[in-house]
Amino acid sequence: MSFGMGAGHFSGKAANKFSEEKKVKDINKTIYKRLIRTGKKYWSRFLAGFLLIIVVSVINLIRPYFMKTAIDDYIKGYVNGAVEIERAISGVEKLALIFLLIMAVEFVFKYLHTYILQKTGKKIIMELRQRVFSHIQKLPVSFFDRNPIGRIVTRVTNDTDAINEMFTNVVVGFLQNIFLMAGIVVVMLSLNTNLTLISFTVLPFMVAVSVLFRNKARIIFNEIRTRLAAINAFFSEHISGMKIIQAFNMQEKKLSELEKINKKYYESSLKRTRLFGIFRPFMDVVKSLALALLLWYGGGRIIKGTLEFGTLFAFISYINMFFQPIMELTERYNTLQGALVASDRIFTLLDTKAEPEPVNPVKPEKAGGKVEFKNVWFAYAGERWVLKDVSFVINPGQSAAFVGATGAGKTSIINLMCGFYENQRGEILIDGVNIKDMKKEDYRKNIGLVLQDVFLFSGDIKTNIGLFDKNITLERIKEASDYVNASKYIEKLPKGYLNPVNERGSVLSLGQRQLLSFARALLKNPSILVMDEATSSIDTETEQLIQDAVGKLMEGRTSIAIAHRLSTIQKADRIMVIHKGELVETGNHQELLQKEGLYYNLYRLQYKEELEGA
Amino acid sequence: MSGIKRYFYSRFELFVKQNKGKYITGAVAIFLVNIIALIIPRITGNTVDALDIGAIDNNGLLKISALIVLLALLVFFMHYISRLMIIGTSSLYEMLVRNELFKHLEKLSMSFFNRKSVGEIMALSTNDLNAVRMTLGRGIIMLLNTVFLIVSSIVIVGTTIDFKLTILAFAPFPVLIFIIARFGGVINKRFRKVQESFAHITRKAQENISGIRVVKAFNQEKNEIKSFEELNMDNYKAGMSLVRVWGLFFPLITFLSAISFFITMYFGGPLVIKGTITLGDFIAFNSYIGMIIRPVGFIGMIINQVQQGRASMERIEKLFQERPDVSDKEGFGKLERSIRLNRTIEFNNVTFSYGPSKAPALNNVSFKIKSGQTAAFIGSIGSGKTTIAELILRFYNPPGKGLILIGDVDILDIPLNVLRDNIGYVPQDNILFSASIKDNIGFNPYETDIEEVLENARISHVYNNIIEFPDKFDTMLGERGVNLSGGQKQRVSIARALTGNPGIIILDDAMSAVDTQTEEMILVNLKSLMRDKTGIIIAHRISTIKEADIIFVMDEGKIVERGTHIQLLNKRGYYSRIYERQLLEDKIDKF
Repeated sequence: MSFGMGAGHFSGKAANKFSEEKKVKDINKTIYKRLIRTGKKYWSRFLAGFLLIIVVSVINLIRPYFMKTAIDDYIKGYVNGAVEIERAISGVEKLALIFLLIMAVEFVFKYLHTYILQKTGKKIIMELRQRVFSHIQKLPVSFFDRNPIGRIVTRVTNDTDAINEMFTNVVVGFLQNIFLMAGIVVVMLSLNTNLTLISFTVLPFMVAVSVLFRNKARIIFNEIRTRLAAINAFFSEHISGMKIIQAFNMQEKKLSELEKINKKYYESSLKRTRLFGIFRPFMDVVKSLALALLLWYGGGRIIKGTLEFGTLFAFISYINMFFQPIMELTERYNTLQGALVASDRIFTLLDTKAEPEPVNPVKPEKAGGKVEFKNVWFAYAGERWVLKDVSFVINPGQSAAFVGATGAGKTSIINLMCGFYENQRGEILIDGVNIKDMKKEDYRKNIGLVLQDVFLFSGDIKTNIGLFDKNITLERIKEASDYVNASKYIEKLPKGYLNPVNERGSVLSLGQRQLLSFARALLKNPSILVMDEATSSIDTETEQLIQDAVGKLMEGRTSIAIAHRLSTIQKADRIMVIHKGELVETGNHQELLQKEGLYYNLYRLQYKEELEGA
Repeated sequence: MSGIKRYFYSRFELFVKQNKGKYITGAVAIFLVNIIALIIPRITGNTVDALDIGAIDNNGLLKISALIVLLALLVFFMHYISRLMIIGTSSLYEMLVRNELFKHLEKLSMSFFNRKSVGEIMALSTNDLNAVRMTLGRGIIMLLNTVFLIVSSIVIVGTTIDFKLTILAFAPFPVLIFIIARFGGVINKRFRKVQESFAHITRKAQENISGIRVVKAFNQEKNEIKSFEELNMDNYKAGMSLVRVWGLFFPLITFLSAISFFITMYFGGPLVIKGTITLGDFIAFNSYIGMIIRPVGFIGMIINQVQQGRASMERIEKLFQERPDVSDKEGFGKLERSIRLNRTIEFNNVTFSYGPSKAPALNNVSFKIKSGQTAAFIGSIGSGKTTIAELILRFYNPPGKGLILIGDVDILDIPLNVLRDNIGYVPQDNILFSASIKDNIGFNPYETDIEEVLENARISHVYNNIIEFPDKFDTMLGERGVNLSGGQKQRVSIARALTGNPGIIILDDAMSAVDTQTEEMILVNLKSLMRDKTGIIIAHRISTIKEADIIFVMDEGKIVERGTHIQLLNKRGYYSRIYERQLLEDKIDKF
């Protein structure tokens, strides 16, 4: 439930579950308010939908009245001698034609009703989805660290759907059902008070059974959900661990474990079957009871001559009609609950704070490319410092290489520079301006980021280089690819620059993806190049191309690299050695080697083989 | 496909045969429900007629009312029976197939699990099985109901009321059914479009969130929002195109039934006036038409349900068709646990790859580990170490006969359960199950003595951690329990491998998350324990393996060096380079 907190530890989950019950009650009010605000814009459409459905309901209500009139006024009228045969027949025929006409009207109105409501609902979904998606774009990277992708996607897709359900089905459905029920009562009363009262003696039964059913259903549905979840968890866990089950000959024991929880689920299913097997048919019994009462009481009146046939007929129809909305209301209640939970999740997401932006942003001038860290302290959580008092200056055009063991804090430096996270202490300045005083968009414009794991969007090569920017022509994309040695392999692809790729880009090798990302960065023409070099080995030929391209990319730019390639490090103007969050050594390759300190050892460790090979 | 079908029908047929009684009872109950449901309007109709001619008194009315309530109770009872029989049986089917599914999965080989994702297999147990249950339960009930009701009401009405009127009043029904069938096709098509566009939205969101750093770094937020907007719009349009047709569906059905009402009134009304049919007939007739309309509307739903159910059943059946690559030779009986294999392990020129198109993971590997020896494998990631362990456990078949021998017996001639009973295995990924620690350590098909569990926990140095939990060895692990640290998991996993006192122990990178001191203590404990066992230790750290009787150094699927620690160091080859690197690493770590 509590979105944004969900690291998913056991204690957290239990606490959330506990607060969920309470929360639903407390928050319901605000959720209703916000939902109303979401749909408010479309009030006229909802009103139209509601008016249409009222017309439809009225038509539904007068339907049995036609038959009543036909029977009482014409058929019985003729039998009683009140009307002549021709008039009786033509009267019935006329009535039938009017009936058909009205039904045609109902048909049109019903369709319009569905159309308007669905259209509105779909519009609301679309807008809400757009709002959620747009908000996600503004959220800080730490949010994505905390929340699994699947969960965020669900907010965009399924949860918005549940809210639509709420608007189109529940709200209007509730109103319609209540209106219909009220209407039936009014018509019945106006036809015959005694008969109405007689019919409604069964009402307490109905209500009691419905309430009982609703409560029981909630308990059973919960039980089924939990037990099915247990089965699913079992499957997922044991399919993943099948190797162990087989290695330890545990097949039989595990099967009997499954059989046990499967049996429990089966028993709950049977409970549900029994419950529904009782509820719906029982409502039919109640209905028949009402019918029997009507026949007995109404029949008696007819014998006495105090009641007309048609009225009795109409009552039978109305009683039949009365049961439908009650059943629907009972069932819609569940949808309402689901929609409220989904709404709460969505609103919580929308309430999650976006990346901080300065109030009075400084607009950076054409960037020179000077980068400065002043006593920067940073922790992802609490006081577990990942960077401790890091300070350095990189002048425009200089190239800097960060080296250090895994987990030393190199990646954090890049993350801070790109504004993915905020440092707790100290300042990060680009061309003398604190990045916290600039709009993210403005200073990111000057940074070209090349990551180890090149992320590809599904689409073609062209869009992956130009990244949806429609101002970038294919010509420029080709030029850039050519410059960073990517054009050769791209042109070899069946469709060249229009060749489709997907997220995990199986068409392209690791090295090719790297080259592609160079082209991507080059087109941005940043004054600062930030690069996290790939560690994985790449074939020699591609490696040559990459080294050459990296060199070209760095020309005339400030470059900051987490370097793994010996060539990148050796060429760097400044090497900075990070160890356990601190900047411990700095200098160029030769200077650092002569120190015989940490760099010297790291260098021997990582490049020994390369050196021996050379 | 036809093979699958044959198989699936035979499995399903068997189930139906076994539960024949329930199905027949259910069908009979539904039949009775429908008959009674048809009788009630007839009774009301007759009552009306009797009232009309004054042939009934209050007493008679009371009797008829009582009869109606009685019949209603009967219907209630029959309804209940039919649901319990048919829907209950469908739940039973779900349970049985799920059990069978899991049983079958337990037989399948690793090559299957490498090929299929957990999600794919899960979908069978969740979505598909659910669809099958719905078809066999609600689907069958709806089907029987519809067929019984439509046929019998037409028959009753036609024979007892007025034939011509029946024909006329039911004339719109064929049109109705035709429209439903036609609509069904169009709706399905448009529905699929909606699903497709929804899938696009899902994919876009998924992709955007996975690549959020790139999006931010390249200031792509606005473009992303725009391209999402396009997909969103597509989805809206697809949805509206569905609404335009689907929204027509129910109003149209009501309207067509209204035409039946119109016909009844227009032609039937005068018939009553002329005295051709009675008023009671007329009223009963109206009730019948009202009664049939709903089930007719359901026809489309039924067809849809049956189609879904069949597709799901075929998918499930496809899984049942999967045969394990690794299985016992035919004619192997179940061997007793008491069979202890001789503990030598021998590989003869084994070349192995995980798939026909994959590069070989092992390339002409030969070695022999004598009984009681501890052998170690070291080498970089992907050099083939784990493959050796997996072949000894026979997760995969060796590519030919006589290539892998355990206790001088061809591994293919050893029953799987005997082989694996003789091996204690600690895998790289520490998979523990959501069960108590006791059950996780005593992970064994036989009864496990609690003393043995405690002892093994002591040997693997996890005992002290465990008794710190309030529930000690009864502490639950996993999602609903305690999350152990990586090192603790590894140590529980080692304790698990020792249970049952197997003669061969395989440790595959088993102590990577354990700190060096604890590792040393575990190794000391293991050393005395392993004196009469054959051990295989796969590791990255030389400190873990330097005491081994023989060390194999692996590179790209080959054994490139072999010997004891000292011998290998003296060779000044690959092994000694690894050793120096690790010394350097330690030095850096201590900076």
